[in-house]
Order: sequence, then structure tokens, then C-alpha cells
Amino acid sequence: MATSKKDAFYRYHAARLRLPEDKLRPIYDDELDGKKKPDDPFEVPDKMDVFFKYSYGGQSRFFREIFHHERLLGAKCPACGKVYCPPRSVCPRCYEKTEWVNLPGTGKVVAFTIQHYSTSAFVKKVPFLVAYVQLDGADFLMMANIEMDDVTKAKPGMPVKVAYRPEKSGSITDIYFEPLAD
Amino acid sequence: MPEVAIIGVGCTNFRGRHPDKTYFELAFDAAKAAFEDAGIDKADVGAAVYGIYNDFFQRQYQPDAFVHDYLGLPPIPAVRVNTGGATGGSALRIGYAEVASGLYDIVLVLGVEKCADCFDYFTKNPVPEVLRAILYTSDMTYDNPIGRTAASGFALAVLAHMQKYGGPTEEQMAKVSVKNHGNALKNPRAQSGMKITVDDVLKSPKIVDPFKRLDNCLYTEGAAAVVLASRRKVAELHPKKPPIWITGLGAALDWAFPGNRESIAEFHGCRLATKKSYDMAGITDPLEQFDLAELHDAFTGTELMSYEDCMFCEPGEGGRLIDDGTVWPGGKLPVNLSGGLIGCGHAVGATGLMQTSEIVWQLRHEAGARQAPNARRGLVQSIGGTLCAWTVSLVLERMD
Repeated sequence: MATSKKDAFYRYHAARLRLPEDKLRPIYDDELDGKKKPDDPFEVPDKMDVFFKYSYGGQSRFFREIFHHERLLGAKCPACGKVYCPPRSVCPRCYEKTEWVNLPGTGKVVAFTIQHYSTSAFVKKVPFLVAYVQLDGADFLMMANIEMDDVTKAKPGMPVKVAYRPEKSGSITDIYFEPLAD
Repeated sequence: MPEVAIIGVGCTNFRGRHPDKTYFELAFDAAKAAFEDAGIDKADVGAAVYGIYNDFFQRQYQPDAFVHDYLGLPPIPAVRVNTGGATGGSALRIGYAEVASGLYDIVLVLGVEKCADCFDYFTKNPVPEVLRAILYTSDMTYDNPIGRTAASGFALAVLAHMQKYGGPTEEQMAKVSVKNHGNALKNPRAQSGMKITVDDVLKSPKIVDPFKRLDNCLYTEGAAAVVLASRRKVAELHPKKPPIWITGLGAALDWAFPGNRESIAEFHGCRLATKKSYDMAGITDPLEQFDLAELHDAFTGTELMSYEDCMFCEPGEGGRLIDDGTVWPGGKLPVNLSGGLIGCGHAVGATGLMQTSEIVWQLRHEAGARQAPNARRGLVQSIGGTLCAWTVSLVLERMD
């Protein structure tokens, strides 16, 4: 294919996919240079995406307290007394509307694993920790990241406390856990 | 007398990628093979159930409608089922209900999955992008943003199990990998038949503790189809091949936020679903009553946990069955003679139906080099979702 047509193909898809052009090159060169046979698979770049203005609905206060005040809330069922974190606006066991309660932000690690590999959104972050944390004052486990200098020092049962990122995005990653200094 | 029989199966090769086929073309190959195997025409089919997991994998929302069109089945009714890794088993469960209820005499249950058209342009590798597509099916608010994967969810369960029961060991997990990769060498449809050692597994790159690369199944593309018929229809058709009866069926959907469960060290929902299928089929001693089983070995450690959830042994004893030979070919209860997900592959929506096809071939004594001698009754376990949220358990029997 004439260089200009080839460049146009890469330029078009790089702009559409919002990818650097060099990431697409030279994957499609054989096709563009007419080197494929008539019945070879014909491959093209593509992407599926949707933008959102997502509402947290009845869980909004949980995220707003983290975002504005660095406070961790749980949701307590007035009937059974169970406290949920992640919160729920109703108790799935009693079908009662829950009430907000403050949590101390401390807890312990029930189980943790080291991610040595992850999705394309996280490959640059490895190795990192994913754990189930039993929060003090809550009745169920929360899946969370634990951040520590040496991930190999993590231990089951390790006490942890919540930490807040200085630059917040409004998502659950505004919080993480770190070992509680002993 | 059971109500529903499998009269035909068809399964494509399971491969890392089929660049020469779209999802609906893979589906066509499996459906055509299943119709031929059953000795029926597509005009005999009353309804279809499609098991397709991830819309990103097909690059298509509602892909079932287009599969139906490509199979030339309109205007008969069809529904799509998606329950993660358990999609194939769940599709079979819906098909069973449609036949057992008397709504239809013949139902096609078809699972299909692409995946490796997903592609990460930064690493020039499909896998990181395949994982990203999968993570859209984890909870988007609390779980997805922290970088967890399907593997880390199951890893946390295996680690919790190790803390509670002192096992399985990493060596026992590695033996599952050796067994299933080895079994796959005798399955021409399998993606990754390999003769490997425990040491190879232990030294393979770490993925998510305690899983190394060879503890994981791979991502796979393929399709598998099953033709179900009512008891009445079986009597009328006199199929040439022995019908394989579904004598037990159980299912569960456990808490999808596993933090809400009593324990993450066992899969309680899986155990309940399995028990239900056993009660229906009259299974009281699975180790004695089953001739073989196809269990959902997405990870070696979860196959060992499944021995316990399927009541082949007491909780905490799963590792013993891989040590003492019970689950190896020639053992008392061979598990995953097909190679399972680790050896044959995990084409998600098709997986449960690939497992079912394997049991059907084994019970018909058509499994060639991997045939379990005199097999009459087998178990299929289909699980999926975060830490085994979904389970479908099926007991299949030859009754002639």
C-alpha cells in the first residue's frame, strides 16, 4: 500500500482508539502491504467504550465522607445489628433500611495474596497486595489493597488501618490499608 | 425414570485463538456436529439455550441473537445464559427445565466463547486485556478498581483453606497441573497437552500467590453443543447411540461479595448444589458410585477444594486424593480425563458443555485413548463467579 494510505490507516485508528500510533505499528503492515492471502483472517483494530456520570445512589454518603472528610462509615441494620462495609442502604438479611455508623478504620487481614500479574490497567503496579480485611466494628469482610514497602512481609492476621490518598478521585481507591505500626 | 437425556454432542477444538472463525462460526461447527451425532435435523429442534459469557470477548452485546440467526433456527425461541465460568452448566440447567417441563421435546444447548480478539497494544499480548474484560464482570464499585483478578479471588479462598486446614500444599497443587496437562495429551481437542513435572510447575512464573503460571488454566476459544431430548422423544427416535440421562441436577448462587459468607475457606454454595444433585440421583457414596468426574479446575487449588465440596473426602483432605492416586487415570475416581480447564482449555461459555461432552463420550465408550473402563456414571461440576458464586452440578448416567 502507498505509504500515505498506510499512514492514514494508522493515524485514523490511533486517533479513534486514543492509542499512540507506535503501539499499533507494525501489527497491520502485512495486511496493508497486500501480503495476506484472500482467505486469511482480516484483522482490524477496535475498541468498545462508554462514558458514564455514575451515581452511587444510596451509598453516596460513604464515598462523600471519604472524599471530603477522610472518614470511614459502615451501614448498620437496626434489626439484626450487623454492620456492613462495603455499605448497603438496606440489610439483605432483614430488608430493613440501614443507619450510618462511624468505623475506627482499623482491622486485621483474614487472607491476602500478592498479585504478580494483573489486567492491562494494573500491570505496571505489580507486585501488589489484594486482601480480605475484617474491619473492627463491621461484621463482614472487605476486599482491599494493602500497601507496604515490602509485600513479602505481609502476614495473615496482620493488624491494618485505613489510609487516604491525598489526591482523591471519588472511587473506592481513595482508601487503602497499611500495616498498623506496632 | 429420568425425564431428560442427552442424545447428541459436538465440540470444536479448544484453542488459544481461532482467528479464522468468529463466535457464530464456531457455534455453527459445534451445532452441526451435535445434530449429526444425535441423528436429527435442525428442524427437529424446539428451542435453544445459548451459554455465552463475556460480551467483550465476542465484541458484541447480545451475541445469542446472531448465533441463532447463523444456525438458521429462527423463529424458534432461544435465550442466552451467562453465569461466568458456570455458564455452560447453567445453560444445560435451563435446557433441562424446558424439556422436563414438557414445553419442548428437543432443545439445543450451545456454549461458545471467543476471547483472544481482545488485545493489549502496550504489551502486544491478548491476556492483560482479556483479564480487563473479565474484571468488568466483578463488582464495579468496590472490587474492580483495586486491580484484583479472577485468579486472586480463588487464590484468597485457597489461602484461607490452607490457613484453616493446613493444606493443600503447593506440591499437591502442582500434581493437579501435571495430571491435567498429561491427560490432555490424549485429547485431540485439547489446547495444552504437556508432559511436565511437579518441579516445572513450582518453578513456573508466579501469577498470584500461591498460583504459578502452570497452576492456572489458559484462556481458550471454542464451542460445544448438547442436544437434549424428552423421555417420550427418546422412545420415539430410538437413537443409534445410547442416550445419556441427566439423573441429578443441583445449582446455587452464593453471595457474590464473598465477604458476606460465613467462611471463604470452603465453597458452601458449591457443596449445597452438589448435594442436591446427589440427592436427586441417589448418590450417597460418590467415590464408589461415580466412574469419573469432570470438575472445574480453573486453578489447581480449586480442583483440590472441589474434591471436598463434591464429598469425595472430608473437608481439608482434598490433597490426599491427588497423593494416593484416586483421581489419576486408572484410579478409583479419575478426575478430568479430558484434561479439564487446565489441559483442554477454558472457553468460558463452552466449558461446562465441553465437560459434559467428555462425560457423554466416556459413558458411550467413545473416548479412545483416554477411555475410563466400563464407565456408567459421571459427574460434571460447573462453577463460576467471584470465589465460586455459581455452581451447577450434573449427574449423568447410562441406563441401557
